[in-house]
Amino acid sequence: MKRVRLGSGSSWSRDRLQPAGDLVSRGNLDYLCFDAMSEVTMSITQSAMLNDASVLPYDPYLPLRIRPILAECVQRGVKVITNSGWLDPVAAARKVLEIAKELGLSQLKIAVVTGSVLTDRVASLGLTFIEDGKPVGDSRDRLISAEVYLGAEGILKGLQSGADIVITSRVGDACMYLAALAHEFGWSFDDPNQMAKGMIIGHLLECGSQLSGGCFADPGYKDVPDIANLSNPIAEVTQDTIIVTKLPGSGGLVSVATCKEQLLYEVQDPSRYLCPDVIADLTKVTFKQVGKDEVEVIIGDAGSPKTPTLKALIGLQEGYIAEEMVLFAGPGALNRAELTKHILIERFKKIGLKSEEMRTDFVGLSAVHRESTPRKEAEPYEVVMRIAIKTKTKEEAAKLGIEVDALAVNGPAGIGKWGTHSPGTRIRPIVGLNSALVPREEVPFSVEILELATRGVAA
Amino acid sequence: MKKIPLREVAHSRSGEKGRDCNISVIAYDPADYRIIQDQVTARTVREVFGKITKGGIVRFEVPSISALNFVLADVLEGGRSRTLAFDESGKALSSLMLGMLVEVPDGYVGRADRVKMGEIA
Repeated sequence: MKRVRLGSGSSWSRDRLQPAGDLVSRGNLDYLCFDAMSEVTMSITQSAMLNDASVLPYDPYLPLRIRPILAECVQRGVKVITNSGWLDPVAAARKVLEIAKELGLSQLKIAVVTGSVLTDRVASLGLTFIEDGKPVGDSRDRLISAEVYLGAEGILKGLQSGADIVITSRVGDACMYLAALAHEFGWSFDDPNQMAKGMIIGHLLECGSQLSGGCFADPGYKDVPDIANLSNPIAEVTQDTIIVTKLPGSGGLVSVATCKEQLLYEVQDPSRYLCPDVIADLTKVTFKQVGKDEVEVIIGDAGSPKTPTLKALIGLQEGYIAEEMVLFAGPGALNRAELTKHILIERFKKIGLKSEEMRTDFVGLSAVHRESTPRKEAEPYEVVMRIAIKTKTKEEAAKLGIEVDALAVNGPAGIGKWGTHSPGTRIRPIVGLNSALVPREEVPFSVEILELATRGVAA
Repeated sequence: MKKIPLREVAHSRSGEKGRDCNISVIAYDPADYRIIQDQVTARTVREVFGKITKGGIVRFEVPSISALNFVLADVLEGGRSRTLAFDESGKALSSLMLGMLVEVPDGYVGRADRVKMGEIA
């Protein structure tokens, strides 16, 4: 019986590097998928590139991930699929070919899927923002980035062309896994149940170790063995069964509980999980522990036909955020932190600070759960006063640091400074994300092949 | 009957979805699904999260895995890309959910004690 093993190489750009290498060496994999994006990845990168020509248009971690595993992947026949192409997957593919050449590989075929990036034309498509219903075109002047979540078809075409590696821009994260399974089992894009099965497997694996012991431990309640040595998860799929597991001898665990948490992670209505290729009903999924760190995923008929639109993320220039912290401890710590807040607010009035929004927090007391923090009677030993502001200009944002720096001698007693830093480093541009639905016909994908021939790079 | 933190009955994971956040509540023991279904409602969740949730709170039931899924609209102060909140992604909000009190029979053995007796996750 045909058995396909998929490994989860990473859950986002800056995930741990080591697990992928372990999976290639010991996972007996057919495919290794690297998710290299979070929602803000493309917009932040586009914004950074506008200010600094040396910023790469693709995931700067890509070379670090690929170099140690590439030769072994080729030798073992492990196909790699990744969305680390970000804004320019062709450039990412060229980089991988360069690495392949340096490693002395004689052959490598990379399929590149493009078509996701819409920055230049999104304002002219007559779209409206989902969040406030306003026309996207009205925000033309502050538009930084736009990209749609493409489906699995482009990746599938790449795999069908015999590529060793497929590099894409933005796709639905789970689509990388779906494409591999559709390729292996000949699943049809017109069969929602097959699409849903692939999407659900991908959804479980796309966040890496969150299925295998990451983001799970709560000592005394949910203990995770050898948590510093987590393995990323593996799915072993046949026509009839799906088993999720991890590498033997690694830390972490794969249990019904870890699977349930991940099934609902970042999900809104579980009965209508919207994906580029299908609407999946996650309530049709159950789990069964069939061995140590082996869970069977049982998926009923869970698919409904895909929607006529694809979701786009649109990044908008929205000014700047500045953030500072000062430190207090010992008797009266909270009183002195509150006095600092008073001083800063008075100073802001005096200098006429123009902030769009301001937030002050007492870290150690109520900064994480904010106004919903349950009331606590005892005063904490330490309190960190945090202040963050939003401004229209960078100059205005810089005023926060100027006022906070001056507190070193003008503030209350026993005021500690938050490490050392260069002026301006705690100011960042805001690229606010909105979303819109784009008719599919507006975003055709294309696939091109880049190959390392024995004579070198040919594009 | 006695009141104990939800943490003794269920586990939870939270994540962002734009400006919104989802928070799952999963009964450790499928037999306890009824406890969370009856007591962890959109109304009781608003009592806990109301001050930071600017939009609606919707509950989805997932009995197939003994779980509930809550979507808290506009709880991230504009979403990760533009929020001034210290926890930009809402991943720490699951712990606030688990502090909620639920009523269980007097003889109910909570998760911490079950772990001491050898139960694993």
